[in-house]
Amino acid sequence: MTTLPETTLPRPTIAPGAPHDHRGSSVPTGAMIAQRFLELRRRRGLMIVLAVVTIGLPSVFLVVRLLAHAFDPKSYGPAGGFAIFTGLVAGVLYIFGFIVAAALGCTAGSVDFQEGVFRHLVVTGRSRVAIYLARIPAGLGIIVPLVAIGYAVVCVVCSVAAPTVLNYNGANVPVGLSRPALVAWAGAHYAEVDCNFAPSALGLAGPGAKKAAHVPIPCGPTGKIDLNALPSGVPHPTVAQMRTAAMRAASQDYSDYHRQFLSPPVGLMVDAGLWIELEAAIGFVVGLGLGSLIGQRTISVILMIVLEVILTPLFLRAHIPHLINLQRSVVGVATDHLRPSAMPVAMGGGGPGQSPIISETRLEAILVVIAWLVVWTALGAWRMATRDT
Amino acid sequence: MSTTTLSDSEHRAAADSEWAVATHALTKRFGPNVAVNNVELRVPRGCAFGYLGPNGAGKTTLIRVLLGLTHADSGTMSLLGYEVPRHRDRALARVGAIVDEPRFHAHLTGRQNLELLASHRETAASDRIGPALERVGMTQRADDKVSKYSMGMRQRLGVAACLLGDPELLILDEPMNGLDPAGIHDMRTMIFALVAEGRTVVLSSHLLDEVERTCDALAIVDRGSVVRQGPISELLASASVFLQVECSDVERATALLSTGNLGLRVESGAAGLGVVLPPGAGRDLIAEVARLLVVNGVELYKLQPVQTSLESWFLEVTSRLGETK
Repeated sequence: MTTLPETTLPRPTIAPGAPHDHRGSSVPTGAMIAQRFLELRRRRGLMIVLAVVTIGLPSVFLVVRLLAHAFDPKSYGPAGGFAIFTGLVAGVLYIFGFIVAAALGCTAGSVDFQEGVFRHLVVTGRSRVAIYLARIPAGLGIIVPLVAIGYAVVCVVCSVAAPTVLNYNGANVPVGLSRPALVAWAGAHYAEVDCNFAPSALGLAGPGAKKAAHVPIPCGPTGKIDLNALPSGVPHPTVAQMRTAAMRAASQDYSDYHRQFLSPPVGLMVDAGLWIELEAAIGFVVGLGLGSLIGQRTISVILMIVLEVILTPLFLRAHIPHLINLQRSVVGVATDHLRPSAMPVAMGGGGPGQSPIISETRLEAILVVIAWLVVWTALGAWRMATRDT
Repeated sequence: MSTTTLSDSEHRAAADSEWAVATHALTKRFGPNVAVNNVELRVPRGCAFGYLGPNGAGKTTLIRVLLGLTHADSGTMSLLGYEVPRHRDRALARVGAIVDEPRFHAHLTGRQNLELLASHRETAASDRIGPALERVGMTQRADDKVSKYSMGMRQRLGVAACLLGDPELLILDEPMNGLDPAGIHDMRTMIFALVAEGRTVVLSSHLLDEVERTCDALAIVDRGSVVRQGPISELLASASVFLQVECSDVERATALLSTGNLGLRVESGAAGLGVVLPPGAGRDLIAEVARLLVVNGVELYKLQPVQTSLESWFLEVTSRLGETK
């Protein structure tokens, strides 16, 4: 080997030595996070998709309902209200929030590899783990406000455009009554209550005369008492009997009635907001880890969609022998167990307060969520730290 | 990729190191293929150093290993006196590099890409964005999206990215690719200027002429191994000397020179007779060739030594290696 004699070449005149900026640290700097945030935010196509799904979809749905109700209030109910709120949150924002967050995460985790910029970042000497971790606050800084804006639109419309009368079990009932007040109201409106409230308390709720537990009350197809529907030979109930039955039904239904609102309560809106933000954050962090692990955005996004719309509902609703603990360890199952009690089961099934098939304590659910966040972050960071580029 | 803390004396020792790049027995394998084979490379500080080799010789792989983009299987290396990968954060803080073609986020402007890269360096790097763009002649187009850039503009932007860290060492992988003649001239001028400032520029290229014009020293790599390295003038001086011969009897001259024990290689063709002298041959041997022909009755019309170009020397060196393997 031939080497150069030192004297043949000039010595450096620029200041030698490395800056003391702790760039080997795994902790990202504020500037790294800010620039990564800007890099993601400037992806115009992706941002449009995120905004359309998180804000546009619920907005369009609510605007259509507002217009329909404004033009034909008899055919179309109010645009907002408690039921619309829970349906939109659990059926749309929860699922689509996760999917768009996952898409953003997969993008943040893979585009530097795909676009050939990762090697530029590595040759700065910055810790690869710090490069990875900078994406978490940057991405959350985008998806959390987007979901919050979409959710705020839902909250405002559902509160402002809520119905003025509660339609409970087919009867228009004043909202917010105490148990004695509801019972008294039911006694005064026995004709509506007897044919609409809890059938088990009344014995008859359907059309035609049926055997009642206490007294046979015939109901017509319109949900009103129809004494002519009783078979011949069956004595007609007296008004007192019908009033008593209505009051008994109201008392029995009170616990369910108590959870009915014209508009979503503030406490529920706060809880549900945190719940869908948690789901979106999980989607982003897991998507980020998966994107980094695979290094390919499209495949990562497809896998995340499969997780959310196929595997999670399957594991949430099916009871698979010998795999119960596996089902419990799926993050979508765990987050469903963290939903506010007034919300229906996620993935569009069941009514408020209904329990999913797979049981899991709140603590177990929290641990599963934490485990998913930690494991996927570790996997993504490890892959970024070890990837040849 | 772990890093450890350096003491002040270690920093001083690194700064005093005479080599910008030093490797010892560096090896990188991809399965059965040895891409970097036991490389001993010494790049002095403050010069333009060419890293020359044919396609597939392992040039880019060595650069990737040096920069920590992939790991070495064995051997040691240091950049600017800092051992890597142990102190890669310190070493790379003053290194700027383009590996393969420079690629950037196409949806961002050139300036925004530099801002992203600067955020990963020290705070002062952000202040160097403007001067770096100006230096590579990209100020006018800095706010256009990179998707609209030509290959040459991306090369310039890549060099600007290298300058963000005020580098002591620049490693440029095929920086002339995609540049038009004016761009090549500008790039060459800039490399001269960078070296004049005391920076070290390692220029990986297969463009022999460009390396010869730009660099002070070079290493030739073939099949993963460094086969020669040193100042270009010294390397060429040690190369074979070619003599163009015009004489009255080419066949007789060929027979005389081939059978003699002077260690000559004789090539006859339409253009006349060519004689390759062994490396390091002096003027005495040229005189001996003339004497041999004249004494044996061959009339000599022309005897001209031709300086070996880097290209012919490069082909000579790499093809010789191929024969031995």
